[in-house]
Amino acid sequence: MNAFYSLFSAEEFSPLAIVLGMPLLGAFVNGVWGKRLGKEAVKTMALSAMAISFFAALFTFAALNHHVDSSAVEKVVEGHKVVEHEHVKLSWLAWEWMRASGAGGLSAIPIQAKFSVDALSGIMMLVITGIGFLIHLYASNYMETDKGYWRFFAYLNLFVFSMLILVLGDNLPLLFVGWEGVGLCSYLLIGFWYDKLPNAAAGKKAFIANRVGDFGLICAMFLIAHYCGALDWTGIEAGAKSLLSPDMVHVWPFGNAHYDGVFGFLQPKVPLMMTGATAVCACLLLGATGKSAQMPLYVWLPDAMAGPTPVSALIHAATMVTAGIYLICRLNFVFVLAPGVMAVIAGVGAFTALFAATIALVQNDLKKVLAYSTVSQLGFMFLGVGSGSFTAGFFHVLTHAFFKACLFLAAGSVIHAMHARVHDDEKSQDMRMMGGLKKYMPLTYGTFGAATLAIIGFPLTSGFFSKDEILFRSFSNSYQWVDKARAESLKMWMPPAYLGKIYYVMGVLAATLTAFYMCRAFFLTFYGDFKGWKIGKPVAAEGHDEDDHDDHGDDHHHDDLTIPGAAPHESPRPMTIPLIILAALAVFGGLLNPGLAKSLFHLESIPLEHWLEPVFATSMAKGIHEVEHNLSMELMCTAGAFSAFAIGSGLAYWTYIVNNGAPAKQWAAAAPGLHKMLMAKWMVDELYDATAISMVDGLADTFVGADKIVVDGILAQVTSFLAAAFGTAFRAVQNGMVHVYAAAMVVGVAGFSWFFAMPHAEGMIVDKGNGDFIVAAAPGFGYEYKFDDAQKFGATSEKPVHLDLPAADKSDKAKATAPVTKNVVLTVKNVFGIQDTKTFVLVRTPAKDKQMIGQN
Amino acid sequence: MISPIVYVALATILFFLGGAGFLFRRNVLVSLMSIEIMLNATNLALVAFNRLHTDSHTGQMLTFFVIAVAAAEVAVGLAIVISFFRIKRSVRTDEADLLRN
Repeated sequence: MNAFYSLFSAEEFSPLAIVLGMPLLGAFVNGVWGKRLGKEAVKTMALSAMAISFFAALFTFAALNHHVDSSAVEKVVEGHKVVEHEHVKLSWLAWEWMRASGAGGLSAIPIQAKFSVDALSGIMMLVITGIGFLIHLYASNYMETDKGYWRFFAYLNLFVFSMLILVLGDNLPLLFVGWEGVGLCSYLLIGFWYDKLPNAAAGKKAFIANRVGDFGLICAMFLIAHYCGALDWTGIEAGAKSLLSPDMVHVWPFGNAHYDGVFGFLQPKVPLMMTGATAVCACLLLGATGKSAQMPLYVWLPDAMAGPTPVSALIHAATMVTAGIYLICRLNFVFVLAPGVMAVIAGVGAFTALFAATIALVQNDLKKVLAYSTVSQLGFMFLGVGSGSFTAGFFHVLTHAFFKACLFLAAGSVIHAMHARVHDDEKSQDMRMMGGLKKYMPLTYGTFGAATLAIIGFPLTSGFFSKDEILFRSFSNSYQWVDKARAESLKMWMPPAYLGKIYYVMGVLAATLTAFYMCRAFFLTFYGDFKGWKIGKPVAAEGHDEDDHDDHGDDHHHDDLTIPGAAPHESPRPMTIPLIILAALAVFGGLLNPGLAKSLFHLESIPLEHWLEPVFATSMAKGIHEVEHNLSMELMCTAGAFSAFAIGSGLAYWTYIVNNGAPAKQWAAAAPGLHKMLMAKWMVDELYDATAISMVDGLADTFVGADKIVVDGILAQVTSFLAAAFGTAFRAVQNGMVHVYAAAMVVGVAGFSWFFAMPHAEGMIVDKGNGDFIVAAAPGFGYEYKFDDAQKFGATSEKPVHLDLPAADKSDKAKATAPVTKNVVLTVKNVFGIQDTKTFVLVRTPAKDKQMIGQN
Repeated sequence: MISPIVYVALATILFFLGGAGFLFRRNVLVSLMSIEIMLNATNLALVAFNRLHTDSHTGQMLTFFVIAVAAAEVAVGLAIVISFFRIKRSVRTDEADLLRN
């Protein structure tokens, strides 16, 4: 096996081309020929592309570990044996893309199409290809009857390709290519059923909200190029220290203008400056909030559920939305230089986690609950990385990918079964129509249940370990990573240490709400009585109605849905196999990084932390993890997390199982205002509509008005009138008679002949300064020249003239500054002996003289 | 040797005769002939001027070009005249107003 790994060196690791290339090939084949290939071939292509990519990724990861192990160095530190690993990367250079060069000491930065794998991107790569394969398999059945089958798989493969570019790219511009690529695929897949207006609008919303974030990412790229002089990860890491140099970013006011009027307060005397690190991280944070659906840019993600459910599982839960967290982890060495921004990241995360969880409490649409839950869980990840524990945040990315993909796919299975009965897109996702599905869909029930246990933090499941770790890190973190003296000299804001405690409380609250709403969704869907019997159209209207689009089987028609008919059924095997695998991962995935077990049983190392250690080595060296693994503190935090789970799920059990939902109605009745706000999702969409969107609309209206009056009204009218007038005039000339045209030609030729036969005394004056002039006559056919009163004509066309100033007379100032003039008469004679004259006036101004002397 | 100015004078007279014929005659064939006269006047002038520059034959060479081009032009011109005659049953230029549309 070792020989097999050593086939490829770490610098020329070409199997990455297979990992990347297969999804691209799949997208290309299905995109170009998919329509003619037929469903079976499309399916085979897409699935085999993903499978091969996954196996290549597995091999890559194994080879990576092999290289890591062979680079291990044993050292003895303070009497203990310590194994140190280098930050090993397997990279593959495809080609050199371009060179960025610029002013201001920015030498040419090579930007290469280079891909590299280390532990961080390796795990992401495994998640993308592995879970990607499972979801492709699931979708091959879920989308079976859709007429856009080939289109769907082309997009999905393209998405996987873009996501792999994002993760494997070795520099920021390449990451940005992937970043935009996944954005595009997300847009295409949200609006997959583009003939429905809300879906198309949701796609657009996602795209535009992401543009705001992309702006931040681009700005960050410029700043990094300026400060670090490199854009690849190694180069940025090497140049990161210059981000804390005294060369700070001048944020406000723009320029150096000075103004003391009414709005003087907008122009502070002391300009607002921030360090390069803070500016870069703030811009990156904006980018990350866009892609990872955090406050204030999260609004697109709930709407993105308009896409097919496998898309929600793959893109809007497992992979794409974690790109922001991946970016922060990837640039951890930059982020530790800006503790202020890190505190903001953690704050944004904690607030989003809590905020989204409150909305999820009252949603009736099963996918909407999961969508808000995703936003909330992404908030937890932000809280983790913002607290400086990149490992904890990234671990939650991993476990979330397992359990949320499982939840979405199980929800898809439920919707699939409901749709087969109800034939209505909205009602088949409404939890009020479900209930009691446990009996009909045992596999879906079991897997959904397992994933729910994981997300609510049932002890020893994956979500328990990851969420516990995040909360503990948030509690114990103090944000004091930058040297105090240095921070003071740069006037950096150091976040107070108690912030972590506040975030911890918010996190526990959010975890409690998570437990409640997930259990609520689980109980409403699978327990109680099935309420879907009574919905559907009356007998007469049954049949092919307009709501009934072709994506779900036409073979499930029931003539009368008002009476008990065929029961909802379990989904077929290609849909349940991914569910089972993901549920197993959701339950046991925590074993990858059981932080609590490490402290309790004094384990040497746990896999994920061990893998990621070299990746985060630089930032850890900043003292980010100086907090001792205080066992009692950790147990206390765990107790908090456990009680969150116990209270939330217990309350949900009491409400929805014991009392069959009655208390929920009472609460809604007790606080109607709050309930209404929650149902309206805190009116955030309405707020954006009223502010940002209406502003843009107003601007657009203004421009439309200007366009109508100025361009359409004045410019277009004038031009069309001019064209018409000239047309009328020239139409008279164009009478079609050949001899009239010939006569016009003769007149033209005669005119030219006359011009050339007559001499033209033209020329120009060259002022050489200090009174020296040259009069240069323009050349012509057979011209001879005569200047002034010369006797003869000659061939010389130039005449130098010198003008003397009058003798200096200090008493007469007016005379000293008066200009001196002289006339030069030019006479020109051509071959026909005809003559023409012109007089040139030369002027010498004393003041101008001085200027010219000064210049010379 | 006759002075070249005589040839040039003859060429000028021929050129203006041709031009006048082209402008004032209404028969297309006569127009074509007038053009030929103008071209030949130019040829004559070229050859005459070449006598003043004995070290080169540029003027005479150019004459051959003009003759070749004139032949081609007449071929095209006659073809147009024939198709025009087919349409209008006439070769008068004042009836040739089809260029308008």
